Amino acid sequence: MKPVGLEHYLVVSGLLFCLGLWGVIVRRNLLIIYMSLELMLNAANLALVAFSRFNNKLDGQVMVFFVITVAAAEVAVGLALIVALYRKKQSAHVEDLTTMKS
Amino acid sequence: MNFDYAQLFSAAIPETVVVITAFLALLVDFIFLRNLPARTRTSLLATVTAVGCLSAIAWMGVSHSTYRLDDAIFVVNPMTQLVKQIILALTIFTAFISVQTNFTRHLGEYFILLLLASAGMMFLVSAENILAIFLALELLSLSLYVLTAFNKQSVFSAEAALKYFLFGGMSAAFTLFGLSLIYGVTGEMNLTAIAAKLAGKTTDPLFYVALVMTVIGFGFKVAAAPFHMWAPDAYQGSPTPVTSFIAAGSKVASFFILAKILFTGFAGAEGDAGWHHYISGWTPVLAILAALSVIIGNLAAISQKSVKRLLAYSAIAHGGYALLGILTADQKGFASLIYYVTTYALTVIGAFGVVAVVENYGGDKLSDFAGLSRRAPILSACMMVFMLSLAGIPPLAGFFGKFYVFTSAIQLGAKSLGLLWLVILAIAMSAVSLYYYLQVLKQIYVVDASDKTTVSVALPTQFVIVALAIAVVVLGCVPNLLVGKILAALSLG
Repeated sequence: MKPVGLEHYLVVSGLLFCLGLWGVIVRRNLLIIYMSLELMLNAANLALVAFSRFNNKLDGQVMVFFVITVAAAEVAVGLALIVALYRKKQSAHVEDLTTMKS
Repeated sequence: MNFDYAQLFSAAIPETVVVITAFLALLVDFIFLRNLPARTRTSLLATVTAVGCLSAIAWMGVSHSTYRLDDAIFVVNPMTQLVKQIILALTIFTAFISVQTNFTRHLGEYFILLLLASAGMMFLVSAENILAIFLALELLSLSLYVLTAFNKQSVFSAEAALKYFLFGGMSAAFTLFGLSLIYGVTGEMNLTAIAAKLAGKTTDPLFYVALVMTVIGFGFKVAAAPFHMWAPDAYQGSPTPVTSFIAAGSKVASFFILAKILFTGFAGAEGDAGWHHYISGWTPVLAILAALSVIIGNLAAISQKSVKRLLAYSAIAHGGYALLGILTADQKGFASLIYYVTTYALTVIGAFGVVAVVENYGGDKLSDFAGLSRRAPILSACMMVFMLSLAGIPPLAGFFGKFYVFTSAIQLGAKSLGLLWLVILAIAMSAVSLYYYLQVLKQIYVVDASDKTTVSVALPTQFVIVALAIAVVVLGCVPNLLVGKILAALSLG
């Protein structure tokens, strides 16, 4: 059996990214869209770790730690924004984000 | 690995000053200003901001050190210092425009976020490393998302922030994925090393995926069509000073870093966007973005009723013109890009300042500007300067900016007029843009006012708007004031 190589990781990472993008475009619930966004970031993380391992360099893995931290901060801001919107509209659906189109 | 912390600190003094000022503003507001009337509070906090930013600007003016931290995480040279000074000046203008508006009671928090966003921009300007670029970009973006949502009374504000956040998050994911692939192809984090490793490898398909992803990510950031969907809503829904900051400061920083990534990191993969000699690379991708931006931005702006939305579409169009400066892929084009985005930023802050004043008397609809010349003559004159400069009428700064970008795009010696098709398109579209800018001026000068009350303007805001109008005229008449500085910084850096 062929050992797991860089290309396998990259395929998984690419698939994760596409799934995330698909979710962001298709889903209508804001929370699910957030989760899909996180999926896209994690796809990038997976690629970074795999490249880092196969390039025999550690800086990619260091970067992943930073990305995870930033993603957490992003979620904090994002959830706060959802709450702010929910207070005004009692809804967390993208269909209700259309008041400004004149 | 050991490096000199004292040296790092002295290189990062401007950023340190800005961050300290940010916390100082919060502290001062909490301890001393809670019970004062809102306008006094804002004026005092804006003064604190201005003092902090001015001392950082002065420091950068005095010290001429260059510095390069390991792996180019933090780079200081004359060019970065000049752009940082410009960004801090824009921050000061935004702070004083905020005096006019009355959208929040949480002023300390507002100013700390404003200053943290500027600190993010400064770090972004100094970053030449994938990790540092991503972190600085996120610091900037997260501060801007919260600032956009700052008007808690308005449902528009929350909605705008959410849209900005969703598109911003997607752009961050695209940028990160693109950058991670580039890291994979080259095994390097810093842009110079990436370019060195990329030499000869530019046929790698993975590299093209990475290139397109990165450009898409930054396309969202600079609101280039077709990635501009968030911009009109975010601009319209945010509190007006925040809109001006997004349109001005964030644009200067994003264009600078985009140019740096493409020029330094992807050097050698330019390709050619010329009419009959297409070569794949990043210039053809950007040429498509630029062409779409000038077309969509200008055509969509025509039918807008809200002035903030109109300026948002005009910002998309101006993003397209600015991309022309990057397309040249040489130092001259870079200089024209910096001049263009700087003068655009000054103009647009002034224009949004006027909108912020008018908003207090109704809204930001075109009809709210009717008869403004009788109600606020000075303000109207300034608005005329801004609008004509955005349209590119000589002798204002906007004219020279466009002229400089277009000529540097045409004068690409060896590539002999390859970009002429794009320049002609941009000039034609800029003629179209005159229509909607004049619509605003028609409302101000020709249409009669329904509401005849004189408009009262807070003194700092009035002062800033007039100063910006003068700056736009002066930079248009004597462009060498800024161009000379940019060219000097480029040759040193």
